[in-house]
Amino acid sequence: MTALFLLASLFVFLFIGTPVAVSLGLASILTMLLFGDQSLLSSAQKFFHTMQVYPLLAVPFFILAGAFMTTGGVARRMVDFANALVGHYRGGLAMAALLGSAFFAAVSGSAPATVVAVGSVMIAGMVRSGYTRGFAAGVICNAGTLGILIPPSIVMVVYGAITETSIGRLFIAGILPGIIMTAAMMGTIIVIARKHKLPRQEKADFSTVIKTFREAFWGLMLIVIILGGIYAGVFTPTEAAAVSAVYAFFIAVFVYKEISLKRVPAVLVDASKITVMLMFIIANAFMFAFLLTTEQIPQAASEFIVSMGLPVWGFLIVLNILLLVAGNFMEPTSVVLIMTPIVFPIAVEMGVDPVHLGVLMVVNMQIGLVTPPVGLNLFVTASVAKLSLEDTIRAALPWLIVLLCVLLLITFVPWFSLVIPALLLD
Amino acid sequence: MATLLAAMTLLTFFQVVLRYVFNSGWVWSLEATTYLFAALVLIGMSYGVRTQAHIAIDLLVKRFPRRIRRYIALFAVASCLAYALLMLYGSSVFVRGLFILGNDARDVPLQKWVLTATMPLGFFLLASRFLQSGWKLFSGDDYADNSSPQ
Repeated sequence: MTALFLLASLFVFLFIGTPVAVSLGLASILTMLLFGDQSLLSSAQKFFHTMQVYPLLAVPFFILAGAFMTTGGVARRMVDFANALVGHYRGGLAMAALLGSAFFAAVSGSAPATVVAVGSVMIAGMVRSGYTRGFAAGVICNAGTLGILIPPSIVMVVYGAITETSIGRLFIAGILPGIIMTAAMMGTIIVIARKHKLPRQEKADFSTVIKTFREAFWGLMLIVIILGGIYAGVFTPTEAAAVSAVYAFFIAVFVYKEISLKRVPAVLVDASKITVMLMFIIANAFMFAFLLTTEQIPQAASEFIVSMGLPVWGFLIVLNILLLVAGNFMEPTSVVLIMTPIVFPIAVEMGVDPVHLGVLMVVNMQIGLVTPPVGLNLFVTASVAKLSLEDTIRAALPWLIVLLCVLLLITFVPWFSLVIPALLLD
Repeated sequence: MATLLAAMTLLTFFQVVLRYVFNSGWVWSLEATTYLFAALVLIGMSYGVRTQAHIAIDLLVKRFPRRIRRYIALFAVASCLAYALLMLYGSSVFVRGLFILGNDARDVPLQKWVLTATMPLGFFLLASRFLQSGWKLFSGDDYADNSSPQ
């Protein structure tokens, strides 16, 4: 009854257009007042304490680092380097866009930001070289989803904070699936390029490779600092985030000279806005999770599912479908915030590794970013590529098959998510 | 807001620098950072309403005819206002409790209630913003359909 009221009121608020944060908060408070024995005081306390959850402090810092790095110049450097590496193959420019997106994802940590930055650098160039606008948009739209899988990933920080899973471990677990995802899309480009005789670039000589690498180096160092620092135990993920924000400021202002000192306050304001919006949702989601726990709702659900005798693979399939559907309506962080407190206890009960579950959720969210009606990447790509939303959807949909195949692979072979953390951290 | 974020970042950054270069640190740094973080979020919430930055799902609402949509929007704003007021009440009780106890914060040389007072303040501002947008909506012609999934 409690669970029913909680979920029903949550969905009513969500679908009448109440902000996600308020829907979560209000549904929790009402349920608590009607059925629970906690007071408003404890809700307020829970809300305030969210900002004192140490791992969540990484959120504003990573957003700030991304804000400094999300400029056209940084994206161009990444793409130039990628182009020098793979441009001479058939379909080379598309591969460069993909690889450039993967590099850029590693410094920006955001999927839409990657689409905007790499897309505005690459799409015009691809069309000029003889690619169709739709193909260019499809590549950029899907490659951009790597932003939430390749560390630093804010979705992973949030998942780690809710489930008390090590964020460093999650980041490192994202590496191999990220590479697999990139390789799968790369393979698709190779096949399409052969079939449609897509153009190739002149082969870059070695000195160009070195030159473009030196240009991209300072940006790429960001991810080395984050992962290396966490791996070597030099600092916590939160400290890594703060260090990377200061580093990104330094690189953007003094090395790349992309942002003038005068514009720094504006970048700070932008980053604050995104932080507030996300944390407002997160704090309310913590109240929601707190209520779920005190009312022991996940335990009941877990008992119910275990008693149904669902095998682990069956559970994972159901979970994937649930996440994909939810990912179609909400942006990634919100889905993870709502779903995790409910499914995490069940998954753990069934013997799913928390790190594996985290990677699984993120890959599902990637797919949600490119599926209508609310795939954020679709909207962003449509505006960057100057295509209608319908054309963008048509261009992006074939790539869904690739993403879904990788999702299946990652769902049923936990090894891909777990081998690198086990190798490096144990 | 920008200053709060910059202060948090620099505090955490210097904490790392101090630890490795000077082998020391400020004990109050982490606690101060978390209170700055809370202040940033709580004061920023109402600003987010003004700039329409808070994410909502408007997929279903868009399908209704204009008149009905207005009633739905009114109900949504009313629920936002109810939320803000309930949280304002809860946080006031929370801070009042801390005030009566008069405890000091762990490391920052201030009483706890001073540091948490940002919460009722934030929800008060939030409630006023919701009241304002509700009034605009209620008084009529200001209802522009400028909400989008982004």
